[in-house]
Amino acid sequence: MGTPETITMEGITPGQEFGEVVFGPLEKVDFVRYAGASGDFNPIHTDESYARRTGAPTVFAMGMLPAGYLAHAVTDWFGGPQNLRRFKVRFTTRVWPGDELVCRAHVVSIEDGIVKTTLEVHRRGSGPEGLDLPAEEMAIVAEADVELPE
Amino acid sequence: MAESHLTFELPVERGKVREFALSVGEDNPVFFDVDAARAQGLPDIVAPPTFTVTQIWQISREQREAQLGANLDYERVLHGEQEFVYQRLPFAGEILRGTMRISKDFTKQGKRGGEMRFVTYESRFVDVQGEDVLTAYYTLIETAKDVG
Repeated sequence: MGTPETITMEGITPGQEFGEVVFGPLEKVDFVRYAGASGDFNPIHTDESYARRTGAPTVFAMGMLPAGYLAHAVTDWFGGPQNLRRFKVRFTTRVWPGDELVCRAHVVSIEDGIVKTTLEVHRRGSGPEGLDLPAEEMAIVAEADVELPE
Repeated sequence: MAESHLTFELPVERGKVREFALSVGEDNPVFFDVDAARAQGLPDIVAPPTFTVTQIWQISREQREAQLGANLDYERVLHGEQEFVYQRLPFAGEILRGTMRISKDFTKQGKRGGEMRFVTYESRFVDVQGEDVLTAYYTLIETAKDVG
């Protein structure tokens, strides 16, 4: 198990990039595990026949699953979860079984002791048959503010 | 109009924290190992940053609609955004309490015509002393009705 390395303000400059860190590929059972852990039992994420009846080719991830992986990446890059002050995600496309999650961060500025970052998660994979998805596309656009020791 | 809100309680339990941490691939011992958390000056293992999203799923859509009354057409609703603002992370063993209310509700023109509606639910979590712990913003998007 990994304790993130200690990081201080001195180690950070605007324009700095973190990543890419890749998680996955996600499997359907990961959606089931997240359903149980989070309490999100919308069957569109776990029940294949239900998903098909809604017009989707198969189940897809609840947005908060890749968002949770992104929070994991951010807190590892920036010294642990205790340093996080704000985390905001916007979902831009669905994440499918077999997709990898590619996480990146970009330091925008340092203001009043707070490191402001923008983040991205790309889904990378062939996607379900018949959808003809790009091999990689943005799934989450996000921001995180982190407070680091001097 | 009196502002509608609902109240909730979220016990932060070690087992649920570990289960949630595993579900997002965490491997930092601060989420799993009480001794490791205490060695960092924390009272117990901490909840991952997105853990409090579990609060949303403890309130049924029907109850939320009955008490907060957004009147959304759930055939057209997507989870569009989620934000958390932290004073600190919750730790296992505490019971958070809070209130949930609609903090934003607006429409804008969709790219393919029709109106999209954005409804944001704000959940404010406080600890047993009444101190703020974090605030979460859950934004649903009601997509435009099919124009074609």
